[in-house]
Formats: sequence, C-alpha cells, structure tokens
Amino acid sequence: MLNWIYVALQAILNGLLTGALYALIGMGMALIFGVMRIVNFTHGAFLMMGMYITYVVFQATGVSPYYQFPIAGFLLFLVGYVTYLGLLRPIRGQVDFMVILLTMGLALILVDGAQLIFGADYHQINIPLLSRNIRVGSQIFINAPWLVSFAIAAALACILYWVVTHTMFGRAARAIAQNPYAAPLMGINVNRIQAAAFGIGSAAAGIAGALLLPVFYLFPDVGNQFKLKSFVMVVLGGMGSIQGAAIAGLVLGVVESLTSLYWGNEWALAVDFVLFILVLSLKPSGIFGSQRA
Amino acid sequence: MFLEVKNVSKRFGGLKAINNVSFSVKPGEVTFIVGPNGAGKTTLFNLITSVFHPDSGSIHFDGRDISHLTPNDAAKSGIGRTFQLVKPLRNLTVLENVMLGAFLRTSSPGRAETEAARVLRFLQMEKVLHLPARGMGLPMLKRLEIARALATQPKLILLDEVVAGLPTSEAIKLAMLLKRLPEWGISTIGGIEHVMQVVMRIADRVIVLDHGTLIAEGAPQDVVHRPEVIEAYLGSKYKEIAS
Amino acid sequence: MKNLQVIIATVFFVAALFVPLTVPTDYTLQVLFRVFLFAALGLAWNLVGGYAGQLSLGHAAYFGVGAYGLALFSKLGIPPWPSVALGVLMAVVSAAMIGKVSFRLRGPYFALCTIAFAEVLRLVAKNLPNVTGGDVGVQVPALFTHSAARSFYWSGVLLTASAFALTAWVERSRFGYYLMAIREDQDTALSVGVNASRCKLWALLISAAITGLGGALYASMFLFIVPDQVLAMEISTEIAIVAMLGGAGTLLGPLVGSVVLETAAEVFKNIFKEAHLLIYGVLIVLVVLFMPEGIIGTLTSKLGLFKKAPRVPFAAPLPLAAEEETQRTAISE
Repeated sequence: MLNWIYVALQAILNGLLTGALYALIGMGMALIFGVMRIVNFTHGAFLMMGMYITYVVFQATGVSPYYQFPIAGFLLFLVGYVTYLGLLRPIRGQVDFMVILLTMGLALILVDGAQLIFGADYHQINIPLLSRNIRVGSQIFINAPWLVSFAIAAALACILYWVVTHTMFGRAARAIAQNPYAAPLMGINVNRIQAAAFGIGSAAAGIAGALLLPVFYLFPDVGNQFKLKSFVMVVLGGMGSIQGAAIAGLVLGVVESLTSLYWGNEWALAVDFVLFILVLSLKPSGIFGSQRA
Repeated sequence: MFLEVKNVSKRFGGLKAINNVSFSVKPGEVTFIVGPNGAGKTTLFNLITSVFHPDSGSIHFDGRDISHLTPNDAAKSGIGRTFQLVKPLRNLTVLENVMLGAFLRTSSPGRAETEAARVLRFLQMEKVLHLPARGMGLPMLKRLEIARALATQPKLILLDEVVAGLPTSEAIKLAMLLKRLPEWGISTIGGIEHVMQVVMRIADRVIVLDHGTLIAEGAPQDVVHRPEVIEAYLGSKYKEIAS
Repeated sequence: MKNLQVIIATVFFVAALFVPLTVPTDYTLQVLFRVFLFAALGLAWNLVGGYAGQLSLGHAAYFGVGAYGLALFSKLGIPPWPSVALGVLMAVVSAAMIGKVSFRLRGPYFALCTIAFAEVLRLVAKNLPNVTGGDVGVQVPALFTHSAARSFYWSGVLLTASAFALTAWVERSRFGYYLMAIREDQDTALSVGVNASRCKLWALLISAAITGLGGALYASMFLFIVPDQVLAMEISTEIAIVAMLGGAGTLLGPLVGSVVLETAAEVFKNIFKEAHLLIYGVLIVLVVLFMPEGIIGTLTSKLGLFKKAPRVPFAAPLPLAAEEETQRTAISE
C-alpha cells in the first residue's frame, strides 16, 4: 500500500535530476534576458547544436559526453559571442520584437541547416553507463547517466552563480542590467560584456545539449521544447534572476515528472504553459522575483 | 471648479512619499508647487491624476471624489496634465499628437484636427504641424505636451516642470503664453517648477513641499523669504539669511 | 497619399476577381487562395500587432479555434455555414479570455503569454482525442461543393477585401488613432483619457474574428485538420512575418507581404525543397537587419511614397539615450 509513496518519490527524484539540466538551460536564458532584455528564440537551436557537436565527436572518438562537454560549451560560447556582436548588437536600438523575430529567423536557419547536414532522422548514442542503475533504499532507483548529468549541471550552475556574483565580469554584467546608460560611464565595455554574457548563456545551452545526448533522442528540432521551457523558467524565476531560474528549473522538472506519472507524458508541456500563464497573470514578477514585470 | 486635497498620504515600500498633505485650489487661481528634489511633487500630481491612489485622505475635484479613479477617467473629468519627461508619440506628426487630446471630446477626426490646429496656433507652432514629433527639439516638445493637454479641454491643468531644460528666454516666453490660459476656459492651473522666475511671474499662490510634507503656502513673495523654505532648499546653515 | 494605397488596393481586388477566368489549374487557384488567406490573416494581425503595437505570436489560437469550431460543431449536426459562425464566435470568446490576461503584460512578456495560450490550445487538441480526434485529426465539412477551387479563391479575395476595408476605416477613425497612441506610449494615451485596455481588447476581438473565419475556410479547403497544422506556432509566426515583411502598421503592408512571402515560399518549395525553411529564416534575418519597417514602410520613409503627411511606420528605432539625458538634469524626482 505504501507503494504509491515510493512511486511518487521516484517521480520526484527523477524530476529533480531532470530539473538540474533544465536549471542549466534556464540560467543561460536568464543571464541573457537579465543583462540584455533579449528574449532569445535561438536558445533551443544552440542546445541542439551542442548536442550534434557532441554526437559527432562521440562518433569520431568514442569519448563520453560527460568528458567532452566542454568542447560543446566552448564552441557555443564562440557562436553566441559572434552572434551577439554580428547580428544582435546592430539592432539594439529597435523595438523588442525585432530581436525576437531575428532570433526566430536564426533558429530556423540553424534547425533547417542541421536537417540538411544530418538528415531528419532520430539519432542516439550508447554508452556503458546507460545500463547502470544505482539503488537508493529498497524501491528507488537512480539511472546513472542522470546522476552524472545532475552532478555536472549542478556544479556548473554553482560556478555560474559564483561568476555572476563574485567576479568583475559578473559585477559589470549586473551593472549593465541595472543601468545600461550609466555602465559605460564607469569604464565598462558594454559590448564585450554583453557579448560574453550571450556567449556564456549559449554555452550553457550547448553543454546541456551535450549532457542530454546519452538520454534523449537527437533530431533537428530537439531544441524547440527546451527553448519554450526556458521561457517558463525565466518567468517563474523572476525578471532575469539566475538563482530564480535555477530553482524554477528544479520545480519544473518535478512538476513535469509528477504530471507524467498521474496524467501521462503528453500533458507535461501543457502543464508547463499553464503554470507559466498562472504566474504571468497572478505574480508577473515571478515566484521569486520582487519587481514588476 | 476647484481642487481639494485633504490629509493625503502615500507610501512606497518603506518610504513615506506624501505625508498628510492638505491644500485647495480655487477657480481662477494659478498655484505652483515647489520644493527641493525628491520632495514628492510629481507624486502629488500622480495622485491627483489617479496614476497612484492615496493610502489615506481624499482628493475632490469639482465636488467629486477623484481619489480612486483610473488615469483616463481623471482626464475625462477635466484634469489635463503634462509630463516632466516629455512623452511625444514619436512616429506621429505634431498635429496627430495633439489630435489625440482633442479626441477626448469628439470622435470625428475632422473636428479633432481642427481643434488641434487651433491649439497649436495658440502655442505658435503652426510651422511644425506636419513634422514628425521625433525630430523636434525640447522647446517644441514641451509646447507639444501643453498643446495635447489643452486639446482635451480641461478645467484644471497640471504642468509638471513645463519649462525644465529650456533656456531662460524660452522659459519666459512660454510662461507668458501660459498666463493667457484663462482665455481657453481653463480657470485653474497647477504647476511644479524649479525655475523661480516663472513662478514669481505667474503664480498667485505657492505651496512648498519638503520630504513629502507641506511646509509653507501663500503668495510667492511671502513664501520665498520664509526660514523653513530657505532651510529646505539650502540647509539649516542658511536659515539666518532670512530676514 | 493614404488614398493612393486604397486606390491601388481596390484596383487590385477588382482585378483579382477575374483571375479564375484566366487561370487553368485548380492547383494555382489553391496557391492564390493561400496568398489571399494570409493577406487577410496579416491584415487581421496588423490591427493588434501593427497599429496597436502588441506583438502577438499566438494568433494560431484563433485560427485553430475557427477551424476546429467548424469541424466540431458540424459533428454535432449543425449545418456548415452556421458552424462557421459559431467557430468565429468561439474564436472571439477565446480572444476575450486571452486578451484579458495578456494585455496586462508589457513587451516581451505579452508575446510569450500569447505563445503560451496558443500552445496550451494545441496540446489540449492533441491530448483529447475523444473530443477533437487528437493527433489523428477530424473531418471538416466542405463549404463549397460546386467548383470548389474557384469558390474558395473568391471567398479568400472577399475576406481580404473586407479585412482591408475594415483596416482602412479603422486607420482613419478615432479608434485607430487611439491604437497608434497606445503603441507609441501607453502612459501618454492614458493621460488623455484613452481606455487602453478596452481599445486593445476590441482590436484583438476584431482580429480574432477575421482570423477565425480564415481558419474555418482553410480547414474546409483541406477537409481534414490536425492540431499541428492549424494550431502550430508556425502559423502564428507566418502571420506575423507576412505583416512585418510588408510593413506593420501600414495599410498595404500585409497585402504586399503575403504576395511576396507566399509566392516565394511556393517557388522555394519546388526549387529548394528541403532548404526552404532555411531560406525563410534568412529572409527574416535580412528583413530585420536591413528593412525593419517592411516593404511599404521602407518605401514610405526612404522614398517618400504613400505619404500625405510624414507618418513613419512602426518599426523605426527608439530615440537615443542622449535626448533623455538633457531632461534628466532638470528632474526633481
């Protein structure tokens, strides 16, 4: 009879494990939105790119994604940096939704490009770790790859948080977020910091893609759902707050997991959006935010 | 047609922006609110036009309680206002900007256009009627603010720092125009000003705010010499200068 | 001159009516139907997105509700055309609910909210197979049984012409001015007595009605719909892009945008096949970078066409920070 408790706990645990990965993606989006108020519709495509890069390297060298993810991170940092300076900065003066439109167009190019290069088929990889399960107590299992990705994601999230709060870069980025006009007057090279922020956010998406590869099917439009979920996390977490987005990621993971358990997989994304709408209508500043949206 | 502010207070978080302020403005009067930076002057205007609502106290206009309306209802009741930071509708022309105000009283674009043109002529802006608001310099934009408010045919008009940022000559020119507002049936004017030359020239009464509290009121020449007023602006060291 | 745009359009619509007499294949008529449909949808979106400046990326919601309305109400036994009316009604009701929640939000939050609503509808349609047929889809009655291709084409032209006339009327009315004022500066509009919430809502209701009607027509042409076809974000994006490519906030914009985009898409589909989405993406990026005001908008501001008095359409850049700086020095609080 206690079985349902164990089943629920398992779902919650799985949700937390997934949630850490979500948190990484969401923090990347929150950084970009917080520093530049850009709603980045290319975020999912960057995740997809990270995933394909990791796939290609794995096929060529056999190195596990859990070791080679820095490659995806580094490459996506470059992609993000260049994208910001080349495409986004020139249109900074325009209304918000031009940026949305541009990032949408860019995503289309990347996704369709991936389809042209890799085909529309689903890919997956096999690593020995996949079949390892770790037992917790008598009834709960943790699938080893998820534990590893949780650990890596959690570590990266902490590092990102530390960077934003304790480094010169982080302080400069926060200064720009608070007052983009005053920041240059204090010697901050706004363009470079913003480009770096965009690069870091994109790198987070790319690394998340790498970590996803062992446990998720790879196909050109894989990034779409994660992009939508990052919006949800940014709103739930409040106005570009990185910590908020991280917690929101964990919350989202658990909520989806429980939804899948009791109502079925297909409702998970719908529940995300309902949560999103609820927060936007009742507390637009986010569950953890304090200012007005 | 008069404005009565009774025991109004407003806080924002921990800060008491307006502290138990009371005053009234009689029809035909030109009243100015002055005070150092951060005194709460714009907040007071925002309370009168229902951008914010008072935590306590009440505001009556023309006999009605207007403390808890919406900004657009306040405009419909006959209160016009300009903004400190000019907010023109940049992608529309000067004429179209002012037509927006005129539309409060008519739904016909033709009549709105006529009324708007009339107001703009009064403010000596005929030359820029069809230019986009975006390219205008500050003096014109300030007049545009006033024109738009005038086109709503208000009974009371609130001018927030209407000459701020203008060179003195421009400011005086504008002030002289403002003195003619009663010709437009606006019997009552309220303003916020730093530029004392304007205040001295056209105000009948002056209200002094400091840290959200009303510290003095009366005719401009009297108020300006009062010790509390000088202290508020310059600090206690200068109190002795007052004679 | 604004009237020039109306004249051009009228000539265009009248000429369009005669097209079926010269065009040989049903397939071409279907393509042309799509051009007109998206012109109508773009005009409908333009009211909210162009004139009122509220970027909706969830218009597929109304499109899909109109489509599913026709399908599901006729499943209940109601004849086709009354079902269309009911579908349109449902689209308007959806708009009322979505608008009430979304319009309280500004900027990107509004856009994201519209996406969320449309996605929820899509997922609901997918996951309730007993009601909507789920992913398998649902049948849609044929609104025209006799010479269908021509009838759909003419209904498309009629819908577009009506949407155009409506937009032209709105543009000259006080309502249109209010929408533009809300777009430029909502606080200023409020301060002169504009009821912004009500205006935005009305624009959305009208927009949703036209969009829903378009959805019903589209569904009926295909005789069968699935959620990922009529409630997809791709539809929302396509509608917005048609309007913006042509020129958001202009009268002819959506018309021009649809002609250019839909014919280009048709051409690309045949020539480039797999890469057509990529070209689509490149097109969007180029437009944003080099022609943010859209075709008509750029023609108006750069070449001075279509101007009575200089009115610059919507996507022009925001003011420099410097302007605000001179004022900040004089601010009291």
